[in-house]
Amino acid sequence: MAQSTFDRRRVNGPEESFPPMFDDEDDGGRGWTAKRCRGAEDIRPIFLQPGLVSQANGSAYIETENTKLACAVYGPRQSKTTTYSERGRLNVEVKFAPFSCVRRRAPLRDAEDRAVAIAIHQSIVSSICLELFPKSTIDVFIVVIENDGIEGCIASGSIAASTALADAGIEMLGLVASCSAGVRGDEIRLDPVEKEVAAADGTVILACMPALSSVTNVYQSGRVSAQGAMKCMELCQDRCIDVHAVMAQSLLSSRASMP
Amino acid sequence: MSVIPDEKNPTPTNQAQSDELRAQIFQRLHPHAYLDRFLTEGVRPDGRTPEEWRDVFINVGSISTANGSALVRIGGTTIICGVKAEVAEPELDTPDQGFLVPNIDLPAICSPKFKPGPPSEEAQVLSERLNAALISTQLLPLTTLCIEPGRSVWCLYVDATCINYDGNAFDAALLAMVAALRNTTLPECTYNEETGRTTCRSRSARRPLPLNEDKVIVGLSFGVVPTPSVPMGLDTSEGKNTSQTTGPILLADPTAFEEPLLAQVVTVVVDVQGRVVSVEGGVCGKSGADHDEDEGSTFIEKSLQAAQARAKILHQLLR
Repeated sequence: MAQSTFDRRRVNGPEESFPPMFDDEDDGGRGWTAKRCRGAEDIRPIFLQPGLVSQANGSAYIETENTKLACAVYGPRQSKTTTYSERGRLNVEVKFAPFSCVRRRAPLRDAEDRAVAIAIHQSIVSSICLELFPKSTIDVFIVVIENDGIEGCIASGSIAASTALADAGIEMLGLVASCSAGVRGDEIRLDPVEKEVAAADGTVILACMPALSSVTNVYQSGRVSAQGAMKCMELCQDRCIDVHAVMAQSLLSSRASMP
Repeated sequence: MSVIPDEKNPTPTNQAQSDELRAQIFQRLHPHAYLDRFLTEGVRPDGRTPEEWRDVFINVGSISTANGSALVRIGGTTIICGVKAEVAEPELDTPDQGFLVPNIDLPAICSPKFKPGPPSEEAQVLSERLNAALISTQLLPLTTLCIEPGRSVWCLYVDATCINYDGNAFDAALLAMVAALRNTTLPECTYNEETGRTTCRSRSARRPLPLNEDKVIVGLSFGVVPTPSVPMGLDTSEGKNTSQTTGPILLADPTAFEEPLLAQVVTVVVDVQGRVVSVEGGVCGKSGADHDEDEGSTFIEKSLQAAQARAKILHQLLR
């Protein structure tokens, strides 16, 4: 149900409009049992392109099958607040395009945008040398163009943000790679899509810096046993090493092709 | 990355690097004089002549969650448009008409001059102009969106998002919206009288929108730069060098660097047959105060001719 309150800053449609209902209902558990084209421990192929937004200091575009997002970094620039801060600030903002999800999202920012932004902030903040930028702010803006699973979104967002920061030339301790996993019973699947997440018992998202073998963020939601969560984290960390190689390769080839 | 138009030095030596830095500082501190230096030579900072247009790239149908989508790139300006279809009750006085709701968003990602938050003035003005262009030309007759008169109609939300803003967002957005509407497909829908619900058959083929193919429009924008302050001038319509000072210069397809320096912006909307649908001219920028009334109208004529020539190429691309 999309109820549009009258927004004087936009062109408005009818007061109430509903997404179309289809005659064959989706079975809840079918998402997990449906055949998967890749193995349980394979993630979707990543296409990562730095330097997409020419107006920004650094940017990256990431595409993994049906999840597409663009990220731009502006900074370090002057902080708007007048209070002195020894360490720089990192500001992450996420915006979902209205056509990015199966149900149309209102253009106003809501709680889900904020939650995704906080998760990405947590993933990348420990990798940046913020003490080198007093009184400054680094702004990371992410626009989600197509969304196939929030966990995949957060993981791809962290990868894109870290690549964009590297593209901007901001000093970091290491590149941050991220991977998500879904659990149903004893079965673990890496990089679940939206249908699999809806059918799963719980999910785990892990962000780490493979170059330093350190973990920056673990986010577990739903019902996952303790051993299951540890196993997820191990699998994600192994996969993050491959993701790191993809990120490094894309940054090197984008630099090589520059004049 | 800031705009560095100087591409002539591939191997940076110390001298070349300091020259580049001085050019960048000059661009930042005195943008009007910087632009004038280029215009007196007959080029613009990105290497184009004043009447040259940037390359246009269109890609449709890449977003699976939307009923129709398009990505348009005009030079650096990148706009993504998606169409979502929802079901709504029609208005009481138009029981057989659906809704077409175009909107554009200029988020903070696309340019350092946009801050996060509610739509800026520029975005609001763009949304209104696009709405006027699409509704007034009757590109999509709203009666074709009817499912059951008085009960249930389609409502198409056409949302455009800018990913990279390098000037001329109107042209790119209009192109993206028209291409996305072309790409849109709707499922077969039936209205059930007893339950009052509208259900769609998911297994049946989706039908494309019945657009008026002869009403497809493209937009073409021009900017007018006030008289260059350097003596040597270039007459754009004849392409010859004249020795005396010439008047303001018409630039086709302004970039983000040129936009704040323009005295006037003219947008021409042309349809498939080459007929001019609408002309919008506005005074803008800080140099608007020096603008001369008479010269303004001659620029509109010049832009009409240039627009009709370029519109043919854009309509070919849309096919």
